Amino acid sequence: MFGYIRPEKPELKIKEYDEFRAFYCGICKSIAKNSGQIARLTLSYDATFLALLFSSVSNTAPEKRVERCVVHPVQKRNIYKNDKAIDYAADVNIILMYHSLLDKWKDEKLVLSIAGTAALSRKYNKLTKKYPFLCDIIEKKLKKLSKLEEEKCSSVDQAAEPFAQMMAEIMEFCPVIEDEKTKKVLRWLGYNIGKWVYIIDAFDDIEKDLIDKSYNPLLYQYEYHSEKVCEFKNRIRNDVEFILIYSLNEIGKAYELLEVKRNKDLIENIVFMGMLRQTEIILSGEKRAKVKQSRTVN
Amino acid sequence: MEVLRNPYEVLGLQEGATEEEIKKAYRDMVKKYHPDQYANNPLSDLAGEKLREINEAYEILIKKKSTGGFRGYHKDNYNRGGTSESNGTLSQARNYINLGDLRAAEELLNNTTNRPAEWHYLKGLIFLKRGWYNEALMQIQTAVSMEPHNYEYRQTLNRMNSSTQNYRQSSYGRGYMREPDLCTICQCLWCTDCLCNCLGGC
Repeated sequence: MFGYIRPEKPELKIKEYDEFRAFYCGICKSIAKNSGQIARLTLSYDATFLALLFSSVSNTAPEKRVERCVVHPVQKRNIYKNDKAIDYAADVNIILMYHSLLDKWKDEKLVLSIAGTAALSRKYNKLTKKYPFLCDIIEKKLKKLSKLEEEKCSSVDQAAEPFAQMMAEIMEFCPVIEDEKTKKVLRWLGYNIGKWVYIIDAFDDIEKDLIDKSYNPLLYQYEYHSEKVCEFKNRIRNDVEFILIYSLNEIGKAYELLEVKRNKDLIENIVFMGMLRQTEIILSGEKRAKVKQSRTVN
Repeated sequence: MEVLRNPYEVLGLQEGATEEEIKKAYRDMVKKYHPDQYANNPLSDLAGEKLREINEAYEILIKKKSTGGFRGYHKDNYNRGGTSESNGTLSQARNYINLGDLRAAEELLNNTTNRPAEWHYLKGLIFLKRGWYNEALMQIQTAVSMEPHNYEYRQTLNRMNSSTQNYRQSSYGRGYMREPDLCTICQCLWCTDCLCNCLGGC
């Protein structure tokens, strides 16, 4: 995925930071175990958030272990292991990454992406057997999305719909949650997360899409006419901000209805602070490089 | 029926909390799950359930502490009803929306050619419930500009705008504060310096 869903680090307590890292390492190890070493490189913060959320609303707490790993060979670290919620988030990460690489290959013909697709395809086939229903839905939604892109859809809401629905399905489908009420809340939470991620990514990619001449719903809804990029961004900023913050507010309200059993402060840090911070960073157009710098959790 | 939960737990309190603490927790919770917060939200039924649970817990705890003096929280009646002159199709569409059948409501609306302010308003509500915030805002703005004096349309528009404020406030309430930048600090220093000079000091 994209890595926009992350904690606001300055506001984290050390123990919360350690928890987050234990989830990050846990999901990384789960990917390595189930899908191989190369697949490890695809891990994103978004998947870590999913693991954290699923695990915290499920009834059983994950098991914590102290281990070394290839990436951090010297110091041992806390790692969550053998947890269904974490494994599910790891699988979702692989499924989405496989599709995203496939999409990149179709659009940009990057050699690296086809190499990645080749490396993941066997794992992906395995996962289609494990989650036939979910994989089918994801494929359908992504097909719908690329169709809207081909048609140059000029409504942001409409363009974001397949992605938002896909996230809703992913949330609802989580195998550790059986309670219908929780599923309903998670569905709405997922819908709004998908919407937020899709639109923040669209705003972030405006420059790149103009250079590559690729589709971007914002360029079509707000009819870009060869003006300066920063002028265009200034023109649409308020509208985009409205949708993003409105989605965040809905995420917050759905969250308040969840029965979260563990890690409340950490999740609230992400939902109420981290995501708002990301919104502000992307909207203000602060250097993307800065975001990339703090990408690894070290 | 579910098993009744520990009322202290429902209000997020430790067992044996004082009356003051109970009242404060109750007030905060009611604010959080108030129907206003969840108006036009697909989860409003769950929020209502939660609120009922909170009310019950509060009632149990307060009765235990002292008899009498309890004023129950009355859920606002959110039946706003249609404007009196609205035509049949529109009020039927409104009914569908209230029942949560968005598809039927949309079909009705799309098939009418007569499109007064209420049409745009209802269309906006459908978008809002579906999560299409941008389209919803545009439709409701249209409704308000067509009938600027309609209280219902204006209220929905205001609520949409203020809900983004709510999120920011809850974020700032959690300690998410921007530090003053250098410019502000300099300005403050400069102002203090000027004031000092005025008073003939340093």
